[in-house]
Amino acid sequence: MLHLLGVNLPDQKVVSVALTYFYGIGPQTARKICSQLSFHQECKLSELTENQLNQLSGVLSEMSIENDLRRKVSANVKHLREIGTYVGKRHAMGLPVHGQRTRNNTKTAKKLNGRLLRKYSTSAFGIFHAPISKHF
Amino acid sequence: MLRTGRIFQSATAARVPLRTTGRVRMLNTSPTPAKQVVKTDRMRSTAFIRKDLLGEKHVRSGTATSVNMANANPIYYEKQPKLHVEALNARTAITEHAGKIMQIDMPALLYRKCTQDLVDQFNAYKEQGPKRASVLNGKNGIGKSAELMKLASVAASSGCIVIYAHSTVSWVNSSRPYAPQSHSDQFTQLEITSGLLRSIDAVSRDALKKVPLGKAFAIGKRNLSEEHTLADLVSFGIHTPALAHDVLEHFLDLASTQTQVPVLMAIDEVNTFWCSTLYRDQQDQILPAGRLRLIRSLLPFFEGQKSVAKGWVLGATSYVNPRFMPKDLNKKLNPPPAVPLANPELASNPKLLASQPSLPFDIIKMSELTAVEAWVLMHFYHRMNIVSAPVTKDLVAKKWMMSSGNPRQLFAGVTTFI
Repeated sequence: MLHLLGVNLPDQKVVSVALTYFYGIGPQTARKICSQLSFHQECKLSELTENQLNQLSGVLSEMSIENDLRRKVSANVKHLREIGTYVGKRHAMGLPVHGQRTRNNTKTAKKLNGRLLRKYSTSAFGIFHAPISKHF
Repeated sequence: MLRTGRIFQSATAARVPLRTTGRVRMLNTSPTPAKQVVKTDRMRSTAFIRKDLLGEKHVRSGTATSVNMANANPIYYEKQPKLHVEALNARTAITEHAGKIMQIDMPALLYRKCTQDLVDQFNAYKEQGPKRASVLNGKNGIGKSAELMKLASVAASSGCIVIYAHSTVSWVNSSRPYAPQSHSDQFTQLEITSGLLRSIDAVSRDALKKVPLGKAFAIGKRNLSEEHTLADLVSFGIHTPALAHDVLEHFLDLASTQTQVPVLMAIDEVNTFWCSTLYRDQQDQILPAGRLRLIRSLLPFFEGQKSVAKGWVLGATSYVNPRFMPKDLNKKLNPPPAVPLANPELASNPKLLASQPSLPFDIIKMSELTAVEAWVLMHFYHRMNIVSAPVTKDLVAKKWMMSSGNPRQLFAGVTTFI
């Protein structure tokens, strides 16, 4: 396993697939990174030289991935809640944000939305701005 | 009474579980004999006789276990008979051998009438090369790649310089490393180019030694004098992969202009030279084949910009992977039949009768197998135990008509079990 920027990447995988193991990199971004660095499609991580790995690290460190990206997303949701937007309130209530129906089929929203706000519940901010129960 | 899948118990015998796959046999002669089930081990094949394999490592390949065919049960498997046929070379490439099975190293191929035509044409071009390249074209499985291989074999054995690339799809399908070239829009493929130089050296080493460079020049930090030969140049390119492209370009220039030794350039799947590759540039745009330096060095020979002084430039198309057959090239190679228009007004309309732009190379249309060739091929398959039934005229006629004279379909027709 190759350890790169805090993530363990499987050696025997193709580079464009291994890069998707980073939070914030999907197949399209991985393909663009490979094109930028001229890695052919069947190139495996174990075949990369030291120089190529350094170039890859350099490109990845300029991108917003992993914890940086998680912090950004969390800050964006928190900001929406602070300024009292509709989207912020929906996140706080753990309900769908993009206008979906709530009569049924809201399981994903209830599981995922607002989780970034819930971990602030013990702070002074969280006490006053805790997720509002739908029964209120 | 015994029931399959049920436990049988007798007064004297212990409870013996029955299995649905097992056989039952009587163990002793007591009044109520106990029946012991002999378990059939489904993990052991009955097609092979197990021999003592002490010290012999069981080879594994992929997900299946490779079996040593030396232990094959002779009841089920017959050994392939040894082939005693003439080898195809410059001496045996004659009209009298048309319709015979001949050997090229390991595989054996049919020496067809069209093969003889190609050999005769190449012998004519040995004195003076043509201005345009030629390309073998035809349906899938008609024998384009096989004819190219046979011609390359004959040329190599007759002491010519042979540049033979049997699969150029690997040059464009993004399976091998590539790198951008500095101060240029081209991309280099050092590994593939080095491999091509190695194959040229392996096939035509003696012929390369006969051709001196004729002029001194420098490649990288190495200076080559005019006494050095093409063999030294190719050898230098093999041992210095970083300069493989420069070496190949110099080699092509010198080999195409020299007149001491004829040159055969045989490129299979030549349609990849005009396709969009699977490589991408640094802006994530698809690379056309012309931006690969290796293909760019060979393309002028097929576009009429360069020619060989003595010898022939021959290519073969491939329709196996339509991704690498450009649509416009396909239309030019296989134009629709020109049906004369009955209406004189329409017939005189220039827009309707716009002529197809001509191709920069000549097309050689491959022909189907003749009945005699199919007969020889079927006899060969029978000799090699590929066809077990006796070969009769009816069988050959049936297989030949069903395959429409296509060699690949003929082989598929005799090997597929329906």
